[in-house]
Amino acid sequence: MNIQTQIRRTAAEEALLEACAVRADGLPGDARVREKRARAVELLKRGLPNRKVEIWHYTDLRRLLSAVPAFDPTAHATPREPLLAGAAVLPVLNGVAGKAPVPAGVTATSLAERLADGSEAALLEPADAHDTVAAVNAALAGDGLALDIAAGAVVEQPIELQNVHAGGQAHTRFAVRAGAGARATIVERQTGEGQALVSSVSHLEVGEGADVAWLIVQEQPAETTHLGQINVRIGKDAKLTLFVMNTGGKLVRQELRLVAEGEGSKFRLRGVNLLSGETHCDVTMVLDHAAPATVSTEIIRNVVTGRAEGAFQGQIRVARDAQKTDAKMACNTLLLSDEGSFSAKPELEIFADDVACGHGATVTEIEGDHLFYLMARGIPEKTARGLLVKAFVAEVIEELEHEPAIEALEARLDAWFAEHG
Amino acid sequence: MPAVQETIEQVRKIDVDQYKYGFETLIESDKAPKGLNEDIIRLISAKKGEPEWMLEWRLNAYRRWLTMDEPTWARVSYPKIDFQDIHYYAAPKSQSGPKSLDEVDPELLRTYEKLGIPLKEQEILAGVRTAGEPSTVDGAGEGDNIYQSGRVAVDAVFDSVSVVTTFKKELAKAGVIFCSISEAIREHPELVRKYLGSVVPPTDNFYATLNSAVFTDGSFVFVPRGVRCPMELSTYFRINEKNTGQFERTLIIAEEGAYVSYLEGCTAPQRDENQLHAAVVELIALDDAEIKYSTVQNWYPGDTEGRGGIYNFVTKRGDCRGRNSKISWTQVETGSAITWKYPSCLLRGDNSRGEFYSIAVSNGHQQIDSGTKMIHLGKNTSSRIISKGISAGKSNNTYRGQVSAHRKATNARNFTQCDSLLIGNECGAHTVPYIEAKNATAKFEHEATTSKISEDQLFYVMQRGIPEEEAIALIVNGFVKDVIQELPMEFAVEAQKLIGISLEGSVG
Repeated sequence: MNIQTQIRRTAAEEALLEACAVRADGLPGDARVREKRARAVELLKRGLPNRKVEIWHYTDLRRLLSAVPAFDPTAHATPREPLLAGAAVLPVLNGVAGKAPVPAGVTATSLAERLADGSEAALLEPADAHDTVAAVNAALAGDGLALDIAAGAVVEQPIELQNVHAGGQAHTRFAVRAGAGARATIVERQTGEGQALVSSVSHLEVGEGADVAWLIVQEQPAETTHLGQINVRIGKDAKLTLFVMNTGGKLVRQELRLVAEGEGSKFRLRGVNLLSGETHCDVTMVLDHAAPATVSTEIIRNVVTGRAEGAFQGQIRVARDAQKTDAKMACNTLLLSDEGSFSAKPELEIFADDVACGHGATVTEIEGDHLFYLMARGIPEKTARGLLVKAFVAEVIEELEHEPAIEALEARLDAWFAEHG
Repeated sequence: MPAVQETIEQVRKIDVDQYKYGFETLIESDKAPKGLNEDIIRLISAKKGEPEWMLEWRLNAYRRWLTMDEPTWARVSYPKIDFQDIHYYAAPKSQSGPKSLDEVDPELLRTYEKLGIPLKEQEILAGVRTAGEPSTVDGAGEGDNIYQSGRVAVDAVFDSVSVVTTFKKELAKAGVIFCSISEAIREHPELVRKYLGSVVPPTDNFYATLNSAVFTDGSFVFVPRGVRCPMELSTYFRINEKNTGQFERTLIIAEEGAYVSYLEGCTAPQRDENQLHAAVVELIALDDAEIKYSTVQNWYPGDTEGRGGIYNFVTKRGDCRGRNSKISWTQVETGSAITWKYPSCLLRGDNSRGEFYSIAVSNGHQQIDSGTKMIHLGKNTSSRIISKGISAGKSNNTYRGQVSAHRKATNARNFTQCDSLLIGNECGAHTVPYIEAKNATAKFEHEATTSKISEDQLFYVMQRGIPEEEAIALIVNGFVKDVIQELPMEFAVEAQKLIGISLEGSVG
């Protein structure tokens, strides 16, 4: 191995470290926070991961992250209409949290405050040496939001965490704690305009018996690099539905790191990746079944057009004493372009002997029989194809038990097909 | 569902402490000094009487190897191997290369007899020796008697040399060349030179490169155009000497329209030290040719404490070079302390087909990281992967497989099914498939579930009065047939016993 090439930094790596150096003094935080930041920077100094790092196998960040724009102090981001009508919008504009009213039972605090007093310092610890998304964010994020949902609170009004950028760099952190028995629907909206490097790391704790639906809607412009991560702990008998929709971005890495740590917890992941143009989109999930009798199902549907590259890595780990785990994962892809590509790596790592785990993965084009069926009924081929592709994706959206969310997401779907279908 | 009792017992019977081939042959051997350097490579090459180009090839590989790092991505862990603490060449003193049967050291013949490998072709031909009953896996029979029931040509490799190859004359009549690779390098250099390293280049990976530098023996098969090889071919690998590594190199070429079925078996003595077996196998199928390659891997797996056992780090790859060619890999893996191997198919020719059938059983402290690669390059290529992993004891069993369709691989098709089963709560079963499509007409399906035994099937059988457990066994057996049917007939019976193991309670 040529050691030289490993040490020589790319322009993007240099720019990233440069940004860290420039930002370091202006970021809020006590000694503990500063120490975490310094460690994150140390990690970044070792360079960005390449495809030899297993968890980055399909996203060679070192190669793909070709440029890192500088912070743009003049960038002025404006809040958007919420995805779900009537939602409480909590904006974070270019990495700075705004103030907005929150529903009863919920307390919102700017994360800058909690970093300043060090109370959230622990969040800034990357999971391991390859947790680059967390490291970038820890080194550069100065604000975001902390939400506390009171135990037993039933929050009917959806909450939208709206992370909007207007170019340059934007780094945001969210920390949400749902108390025991709480219920809430949270939308994590990732959008903006212009060329940018965005990192957004969320933490979610689902308390005992709580029931949370979390929707990540990533619709970044085609010039934006989006590094997203959500870290979740699901408590005893708690329930989480996580929905992820990716429709934009130039280089997108969305990590889902989950631990079903309470006995009897239930987790459901539904994902839709609509990839077009030159997008590189990688959704990577690591799910730990750490307690007995936990149940999870994951369904990811991908549509690839143009020269887009997509990847899904899903790792389900079942700990030795997580007996009676029931985990099922499926990743289905419609590859509609000869210039596009999709890679899937659905992994199982099982140490308990009384479990039911399975995964399936398919990559296909549209079923000829289905097309024939529709065309035989006088539907033109283009329309028929459109219908089939849409149905393939809509199936997953329709599983959400939230009518306004289904409508809003299907509207997004229609808009995407109108443009790229 | 946890494993059923019957399965547990079956697996117990092949547990590491039940290893039957752990004896040692006391025979004087001629060894190269320990360590690896250019002189050792020159010595191996000289011992084999190789031409200059072969030595150069080896030396180039060695120089390349010095610049390479040992791979660490597999889910296996072992103390660092000291590559200077191994003898790279060991041969029975009485034997520096294959001889006629009468000249072979009787001690060696006895060894093979003990292992159940018939080297006395006349006896079998004349019917003096009655075809043995296929032994059961746990049976008291001596060795894998699969060889005894039919006419199988055998190349017997003992440490670093091939001691004898049977039925050579008869095969030659059909135009088939079957001999040790060392002999092929001397006798058929034009063929070896043309094909050696053309599937697994000397720079392929750390262990393949090491093998290219120091390989000692293995088999060479050449089946000319239009010939269907008249009998099963087989190589039996035996490691005997202490502190040695075995570096097997096998090369099989099936010309246009040819067919060959080849079977390899492997065993080693019981020792507390770990021994390295780093093999490279290359298969080449030209237009309309078919190669069927079966492996019964039963290297010494180490003891119940995880001491000793073979490190089996193997690169096996088949190249479906011609149109309509077909390569199938079938493996039954029960041995080795560590297995690291991914028999693969490069589906280069249009309409070519690759198949991989595997049953891997791990026990004790065994670690298996095995699977396959199906690389779809030509048009209308198809592949099929059926893999069953069973882990017991403190073992870890990983299926790692890659299926990829390149831009021009129009209409590539793959079906993958891998199931695993855990017995006890100290072992692990893992599945790591890589599915990569770059062509819109590709159709890949990967499945790793218990769903093959559907409620409907179970209900169908049970409503005919068959108890649930039996019903499941019946369905599973029907399903496992996919793998068993791919084996040469003599061997299928043996494997059937082994895989009489029910897969009830299997997890993805």
